[in-house]
Amino acid sequence: MSLPLSALLTAVSAALANEVAPALQLLGQAEAPDPNYAGGTAATAALILALAAAEAAHGPAREAAAAAAAAPLLGDAATGRDARHAALGAATAAGNRAALALLMAEAEAAYAALGLPPPVPVA
Amino acid sequence: MPAEHLARFLSQHWGEPFSISGLKRFHGGSARQTYRFDAIGASGRREALVLRRDPPSSLIETDRLAEYRAIACFAGSAVSVPEPVFCDAGPDSFGSPGFLMREVPGGLAGGLLDPEPYGDHAAAIGQQFFTALGRIHGTDPAAADLPAMQPADAALARLAHWRSALAADQFRPEPVLEAAMAWLAANPPPPPERISIVHGDYRSGNFLHDGAGRLLAILDWEMVHPGDAHEDLAWACDPLWSHFSGRAGGMLPLAEAIAAWEAASGLTLNARAWRWWRVFAQVQGLVIWISAAREIIDGRSHDPVLMFAGTIPYRFHTLTLAAALESL
Repeated sequence: MSLPLSALLTAVSAALANEVAPALQLLGQAEAPDPNYAGGTAATAALILALAAAEAAHGPAREAAAAAAAAPLLGDAATGRDARHAALGAATAAGNRAALALLMAEAEAAYAALGLPPPVPVA
Repeated sequence: MPAEHLARFLSQHWGEPFSISGLKRFHGGSARQTYRFDAIGASGRREALVLRRDPPSSLIETDRLAEYRAIACFAGSAVSVPEPVFCDAGPDSFGSPGFLMREVPGGLAGGLLDPEPYGDHAAAIGQQFFTALGRIHGTDPAAADLPAMQPADAALARLAHWRSALAADQFRPEPVLEAAMAWLAANPPPPPERISIVHGDYRSGNFLHDGAGRLLAILDWEMVHPGDAHEDLAWACDPLWSHFSGRAGGMLPLAEAIAAWEAASGLTLNARAWRWWRVFAQVQGLVIWISAAREIIDGRSHDPVLMFAGTIPYRFHTLTLAAALESL
């Protein structure tokens, strides 16, 4: 994921504490800022929490699989998302199709972890 | 946004005492904070209004006046837009740069993850949606006070724009995006037949419809700029906005969408340009999602909409762009 899990969890905690909870507490009262905003923000925050939970549970295994797949091509540089991606980027820029295939596989696994339908080409 | 502030402003602006009721902030709208409210004048005048103003942290850095000018350009035309009322490019009127427009009553917008946001009316709305896009592209950019641009600059200027945004916000290696940018730079498209008004974020979700097959208003003009009309068409037809349907915008088969756009714009799709702008659309998307994530990482925002953008669309476009690179 683009957002590191720790940053995501910190931010969603702040959102729940500073925006969602106060807004929900005011619902039904005259000074309620807006149920629409509070409800929408709470729903999106809930979705993010579910994603973060799934990432915490399955992200490490996905990362290990990506590192193992890239190790024959990259050696030690395969370990760790940023190091691996930097190395795969350099190899891709040099025309290495195997590096691009590894990036593709990693992108497929990351997207599949969202539990959404696959992208459908518009053609 | 305190109601007293709005009441004070409108009373001064319209020359009679106004009170405010029903002030409500809309969820979403990550590039602007959006509120609706009723303004009631001492004379009995009643206005249902929408305020769009800059948030402290925005998904996209945009020109404050450009959106208002574009809406004003199409107000009352065959391209349906909300009726503009007043714009302040400074913070005096609304606390931050923003503008007022009249509310479009009864309007519905499709959500990104809605599987069928337009139901049985998808084809009818799609025809109106792509026809409106063609009409936008058939309008002289000078009518929206857009700066002049040479056709030969249209593609690489936009690529430079997003390269710059990425340079500002990137926080980790993005090899798929970087490879795609390299391909775009090395394979520029032919220049467009003419420079058009490019909406900049023309897609499912950025217009209102009445739920019965009628498009009510094109929204979210904050990224408007002069450029190649293929840019808007490719963005509107990107799979991210198709609701997993394979139809353009989740509404029309691609060929029908292009035909409606060509008929209304007077332009003809250029196959080479189309290929380039379709890759570009995914590049633009990825940079926007990375910028959203950066807002969160830096602590400038804890808006869940930005967290959403930094995860789901980010992974979607990383995957589709990687697939596109494999096919180039």
